[in-house]
Amino acid sequence: MTMTPERLRGATSGRAAQAPVPPARTRRGGTRRQAAWAGLIFLAPTLIIFGYFAWWPIAQSVVLAFQQTNLVDPAEWVGFRNFEILFADPLLSRAALNTLWFTVLSLAIGLPVPLFCAVLMSELRRGGTLARVLAYLPVVIPPVVSVLLWKVFFSPGESGVINSLLALVGLGPLPWLQSPELAMPSLVIVATWSGAGTAILIYLAALTGVSTELYEAAELDGASVWQRIVHITLPQMRGIILVLLLLQIIGAIQVFTEPYVMTDGGPANATVTILLMIYRYAFLFGNYGVATALSVLLALVLVLVSAIYLRLTRSWSTR
Amino acid sequence: MHQRTRCALAALVLVPVLAGTAACSSGGGGGEASGDGDGTVTITIMGKPAATNTAAVALFERQVAAFEEANPHITIEASDVPWDAKTFATRLAGGSAPTLLRVPLTEPPALIERGQVADISDVASELDSFDDLNPRVMQFLESDGAVYGIPEKSYAFGLVYNRDLFEQAGLDPDSPPETWDEVREYAKKISDTTGKTGFGEISTNNSGGWHLTGYDYSFGGRMIEQASDGTWTAAFNDGSAHDVLEMWKAMRWEDDSLGDNVLGKQEDLVAEFTAGNVGMWVTAPPDVYPNYIAAGGDPDVFGAGPMPQGGADATLAGATVLMVSATATQAEKEAAVKWIDWRALRPNYDLEVAAETAEASAADGLPVGVPVAPIFSEEAYEAYRDAIAEYVNVPVENFAPYVGSLDAFEYVPEPAVASQEIYAALDPVVQAVLTDPNADIDALLDDAETRVNQILAQNAS
Repeated sequence: MTMTPERLRGATSGRAAQAPVPPARTRRGGTRRQAAWAGLIFLAPTLIIFGYFAWWPIAQSVVLAFQQTNLVDPAEWVGFRNFEILFADPLLSRAALNTLWFTVLSLAIGLPVPLFCAVLMSELRRGGTLARVLAYLPVVIPPVVSVLLWKVFFSPGESGVINSLLALVGLGPLPWLQSPELAMPSLVIVATWSGAGTAILIYLAALTGVSTELYEAAELDGASVWQRIVHITLPQMRGIILVLLLLQIIGAIQVFTEPYVMTDGGPANATVTILLMIYRYAFLFGNYGVATALSVLLALVLVLVSAIYLRLTRSWSTR
Repeated sequence: MHQRTRCALAALVLVPVLAGTAACSSGGGGGEASGDGDGTVTITIMGKPAATNTAAVALFERQVAAFEEANPHITIEASDVPWDAKTFATRLAGGSAPTLLRVPLTEPPALIERGQVADISDVASELDSFDDLNPRVMQFLESDGAVYGIPEKSYAFGLVYNRDLFEQAGLDPDSPPETWDEVREYAKKISDTTGKTGFGEISTNNSGGWHLTGYDYSFGGRMIEQASDGTWTAAFNDGSAHDVLEMWKAMRWEDDSLGDNVLGKQEDLVAEFTAGNVGMWVTAPPDVYPNYIAAGGDPDVFGAGPMPQGGADATLAGATVLMVSATATQAEKEAAVKWIDWRALRPNYDLEVAAETAEASAADGLPVGVPVAPIFSEEAYEAYRDAIAEYVNVPVENFAPYVGSLDAFEYVPEPAVASQEIYAALDPVVQAVLTDPNADIDALLDDAETRVNQILAQNAS
């Protein structure tokens, strides 16, 4: 929690009232009060804009979770009915498990791949810039375009792009998006492909902060490249890895574009995620109350996950 | 990690998740009279053809100009954005929903129930042709004696097929299959001889549930039934839906005639069919034909046959209907209904206008004379056909098997309540059968029945 200007003011005036105050102290207190006011004035536009466009909708959506509305007539209070409808929906547990599965898969694939690429690219003597551009290129492509592109790549049958490549090594053809087992891993591949560029750049930036003296010392001691990575690079980057891991968990739990565009939750609900359910409740069934109730639940889960994660990793990150 | 960072992360989590849905919660608003006191009114309407279909856009714009000239106090702002439940909700919330909505017949019950469309009884009943409108469609647009919409066109499911592929497979393109057994046999022949998909199927975006419903009707089944106390329950967990799923399973895994790509929606199949990669599929032939032509399809290759039957002589019927947003003012309602009459009804009952429209369409290279299921009486439709006869440019004989079947079948409407939700609940059933050779049809139907009953119970409460 940050100190609000009111708290700051209360704290300074309270202290001023306690004891005889030397003149210099009053001056300093007055300066501090003025600074608080000035700060508030400078902050006001940001606070108003942020409050109106970010926090006010959040507050409204929490209220909407307990209402039923058609967006024409005034909303009607229904108490916990939206949550009851939600928990009676057998798809909820399926969507939760699918979302968890997507998150696990995207951590298993999506965390090591960019880290490995970044370390590899930092070791490049030549062509580093080109490698960075190539790695970041997928991020520049609009998500729907890249997802549709992959949909074509994943085309089943022998003529599909990926299946043609597999055929060269005598494998396949595989029913990528058409199989309940393969559909989710396929989506993870797409999500990793389109998101890895950003993570690579962040890792590369972090890598420049690793002291070169440590490498030099290690080289003098005869450490191999692998030993240098394990004993110097990774420990030095643990803070950034930790943050990116958390962001990845949060992002993966909110996955939407890939299942929406590529599979519409299919086949046979194999890729229905929580966000896809929220979307369907809101925009397909017109039940905004239930959709918002699920949004609120998801937000609570994410806050809880973040808190637990940060507590568990606190000692590691500050070591 | 520091507390401040933790707060920032919590905010990071909350904002994107909630802000999206909260955007819908900013209340109704909008729709206040756009008339400005001097009797003029501006309405926003859906139904302008897609920009890629330049000929249809030109005709539409001429109609708008003529309408505005005849009604100088009305201004029309047209949009080519098609009906989309998700954009409608947000536009309604933002006060920018169109005055005139153009929606499929599955939508009116929910829109009426949610109070999102206006009662237009007073203005609609004054139309010359109102009493002649087909009661089969009107029953879905009326509720408690009030009228909420007017049909623009109606359709019945039929079989669309590629006449070239039929010939290549040694089949007679003038005799499309009439039963599901024949469909299965023809599909296998087409895929065996040509290597193309014998029978195309779709299963996402509610299209799987939609097709299961239509096929179920042809076996004599129904999706939901109403008890004497007015409550609805699922009725599909019986022999007929089971037969449909067994047939799909056999065609997909035994015959290998459904192709590999079964996870698509109608637009995907139209593209594949236009490209000549699909032998047959089920849809509304008159509805699909203009899209097929606009996408560069060859008119002579397009064939339309009867809805294949499993013994019931029934077909799923639907329509495109026009409704007015609940936020419209009285002046906007009147203007919208005037426009409905001008664009959608007059060319069907006013023979002079029908001929003029047909002539202009033909001059623009648009399909004229696609056989449809009429929104007025058979007699009115006959007179209309005579009036446009000289401008017909569609190979009507290719539609003969479809048209011949229309009188023979019972028209069964889509589920009267929660149709889209029911379709959404059935999509996974269809997808399971088409993607998993070991799918347990009984278990799938049991699950779907429980789910649909839940939906119906929630809908009633």
